[in-house]
Amino acid sequence: MKSLLNFLLETNKLKEIPRTGLVWLGIKNPPTVADHTFRTAIAGWLLGQKNNLNAERIIKIAFSHDLCEVYSGDLTPFWGLLPKEGKKRKEALKRWVRLPLKEKIKREKKEFEKEKKCLLKVIKPLNSPTREEIFSYWLDYKKGRSNEGRFFKQTDKIDSMLEALERLNKKDYSLVTPWWEEAEELMVDPLLSLLLKIIQKKFYNTKFEIDKTTFDKEENAELESILDFLLEIRKLKRMPRKLWVGLGVRDPETVASHIFTLTIIAWILGKENKALDMEKLLKMALCHELPAIYTGDLITPYGRVLPKAKEARLKVFEKWPRLSRKEKENKFARDYKKEKLALQKLTRKLPNSPKKEILQLFDEYKTVSTPEARFLNQLNVLVVLLQGLQYQKKDKNLPVGFLWEWAFEKCDNSICLAFMEELKKKFYGKKFIYKILYLLKRKNEKD
Amino acid sequence: MVQEKKFYLTEKGLEKIKKEYENLQALKLSKIKGESPKILHSEDLNPEYLSFREDMSFIEAKITELENVLKNVVLIKVPPKEKQNTVNLGATVTLQEADGQINEFIIIGTLEANPSEGKISSESPVGRALLGKKVGDEITITSPIKVAYKIKKIKYHFT
Repeated sequence: MKSLLNFLLETNKLKEIPRTGLVWLGIKNPPTVADHTFRTAIAGWLLGQKNNLNAERIIKIAFSHDLCEVYSGDLTPFWGLLPKEGKKRKEALKRWVRLPLKEKIKREKKEFEKEKKCLLKVIKPLNSPTREEIFSYWLDYKKGRSNEGRFFKQTDKIDSMLEALERLNKKDYSLVTPWWEEAEELMVDPLLSLLLKIIQKKFYNTKFEIDKTTFDKEENAELESILDFLLEIRKLKRMPRKLWVGLGVRDPETVASHIFTLTIIAWILGKENKALDMEKLLKMALCHELPAIYTGDLITPYGRVLPKAKEARLKVFEKWPRLSRKEKENKFARDYKKEKLALQKLTRKLPNSPKKEILQLFDEYKTVSTPEARFLNQLNVLVVLLQGLQYQKKDKNLPVGFLWEWAFEKCDNSICLAFMEELKKKFYGKKFIYKILYLLKRKNEKD
Repeated sequence: MVQEKKFYLTEKGLEKIKKEYENLQALKLSKIKGESPKILHSEDLNPEYLSFREDMSFIEAKITELENVLKNVVLIKVPPKEKQNTVNLGATVTLQEADGQINEFIIIGTLEANPSEGKISSESPVGRALLGKKVGDEITITSPIKVAYKIKKIKYHFT
């Protein structure tokens, strides 16, 4: 547990590392690596399922592919090639990397070794099977060892391109040229090639003919609906967690970043419980906050309206709300209804199969009706508590007692309880030891 | 009848696939017997060891995938001299643009492609645009923003 906690503390740094390409485009508050991982995992899952690929494997590849960036930073193929001078630099960024073959091979090898070293450092605290699993998925992404690895790499590039397109004004779309050039070197999957054409149509108003030998109109419409869904869920990458905003935390994590941590911990701790359906667990983690796109981030059970004055607001957070059973039931029913409607709205155009699956996963999570849902609900509390404790390290006045109360109420799973104990040791252990030493010293002095 | 997809591989690529196939078969057998395979001398993070840690279902799916590749493989060969002025699979293509910048690719099958290393699949838009072209030909690859390339050199050699 100690090693897992250390690993999570490191990977949580990805919530603060902005996507380099977007920084270069001059985009304010660009998505972080964690934000990107969230959506690219969903994109890989939904699109991969259309190709009958293994969704669990794709999600795990997605969550492994950028972990090395905790130490390497978000490296792009431009590393070491850009002029320092602003104007020249801007000019160089208008095109994708163009180099002689030997140079490309040399640079790729160097980048691979650097990222490998950084990834091994990130996963070092984990136990051997988990370490090997993550390394294996990363290798799959880098070297395309399976159909899922090759497919995800292409999906990842599409997500990066969308990140640029959705944050730029139409007049600046020419700045996305390098992303297009990269995609056109890489894209081989017919489904993703069609998706690229749909993206062109959507953002550039270009017309195209569907290759009827491979796809029909219905499939084209399905891809359009998946693209619209992906564009809509981007909102979670810019939505700060309301709880932290309420507590006055500066630059708090986004909802997407929270999902990032929850999915990682669900993967690693979910392995400990062999009875759980891992694919379901990961998908549930990815879906559990999707309604927030329309409902906003609901702070259960505080409700949405908090006092405006900081002092009054902090007072509210001093303790976990005391509510009667009836009040709790009413609050749950209200939120559940709102969130369900929001999710129905979000998924209404999706093809039937993923639509049903997403609604079902959310329903199970919310009603805590399956083993996966029970486990994930408890992990969710612990992930919020962990984040709170991390913020408290920066601001010792930040109240976290109410989060402990929440965890004490919610957790009964032995794995979750063990993780909670580890949180206590990690964040209070030293204080506890100092207190004992102080008392011993006093006792010795008296003696 | 639907034609089966062909997989284009270099000799080196084919050897790699064959070796991976043999290793996976050995790993499958070891897993069935419940013993650690002999090919693994250490628990290092090498691909064989990592494959061994995978679920049986993944190993079986991978074996089926590789069997299909080996059944439908087409070896990429250096074309006869008179055809070496045309871009085909296995060609290293040097492109030059108006600004003088050089860009190079080797055109290869999907399974061996890795654009970061300049290895472009013949099925990618860039690969498709280059196939069949000759030195001096101008091509426009990028869409929706058009970018023109000029083929400066075509070379065939496998390492």
